[in-house]
Amino acid sequence: MNCPIRSQENREWLLDYSAGRLDRERTAMLERHMEACPVCARFVAEQRVVWDALSQWESPELSPDFNRRLYHKIDQVQPSSWVERVLRPLWRPMVPVAAACLLILAGVALHTPTAGLSPDTSHARVESVEPEQVERTLDDLQMLRELALTPQEHTGTTQPM
Amino acid sequence: MPQWVNEDMGATSLAFDCDAELMLRVRDGDGASFALLLDKYRVSVAHFLYRMVQDQAVAEELAQEVFLRVYKSRESYEPSAKFTTWLYRIATHLALNWLRDGKNERGQERLDDVAEDGPVREVADRTPTVEHQMVRQVKLEEVRKAVAALPDKQRAAVLMHKYEEMDYSQIAKVLSCSESAVKSLLFRAYETLRVRLAHMA
Repeated sequence: MNCPIRSQENREWLLDYSAGRLDRERTAMLERHMEACPVCARFVAEQRVVWDALSQWESPELSPDFNRRLYHKIDQVQPSSWVERVLRPLWRPMVPVAAACLLILAGVALHTPTAGLSPDTSHARVESVEPEQVERTLDDLQMLRELALTPQEHTGTTQPM
Repeated sequence: MPQWVNEDMGATSLAFDCDAELMLRVRDGDGASFALLLDKYRVSVAHFLYRMVQDQAVAEELAQEVFLRVYKSRESYEPSAKFTTWLYRIATHLALNWLRDGKNERGQERLDDVAEDGPVREVADRTPTVEHQMVRQVKLEEVRKAVAALPDKQRAAVLMHKYEEMDYSQIAKVLSCSESAVKSLLFRAYETLRVRLAHMA
């Protein structure tokens, strides 16, 4: 066989041999090679020192309450009621839809004259969306109106809401 | 046994089948199967993480995060890879992120200290003399420091190769790189360790 170190072929055999993980056939081939190759023989001897040193390094035991703490965390992330369990998978896909709805409503609100936002028309618009979204949108509209009116307030020409 | 299980598979693949089967049951809401997987892998995952970050408290927190992520991902789980590959990919990802975020300052400081509450105390032999124990502790500190000094990815590769007994292809899958890249990582890492630990012969 070619020298694994010089030829760079099957270099991993040397690691596997040092770790005792090389199969019988390859072990025999490598041992025959090492009888005539001091470079590989030295590599294996040094690698075994490393392997043995690493073997002495043990890890500390786990805390006895490892499982308890983990299950506590799992309980915290689990949906508590059946309603949540049903709605939870739907929540993520609904986020972009809700965001798109809000954007559209905000766009419509910006392009609609203030006088056009009478209680009747806004009521008709919100019938098709979730109450929570409507509340948020109305808050946004309120804020936009206030922002739009701020310069006029300074000049004393504020319109009644 | 599901149809995708090949009866000619070896022992390793059979273990994969069992773990994947358990995980599929977890996906279907079987908490007992999750408990089995946790009991089977919590120690090895925690030890791997401990050797990566060299801080017991952090290692346990990260190990908890690994299993929490396994649990949270149960609904989307597909047995496209060996369960342990998936598990160690999560663990390695968390460890590398933790190391990259520079949260390891405390751990590095502890490496330079004489570890009073570290693993050295736990592995100390009860029968040998004090002198023997001290020599052993010094050697273990050198091993810890030598491993800690390796670049993160090399360290992960060595730990999976040495302690988890993973083959090159599985390490490659965990680290998302080629098998030849893993062999290069390992050769460079072991070369560094051979130089640093040569005096321990």
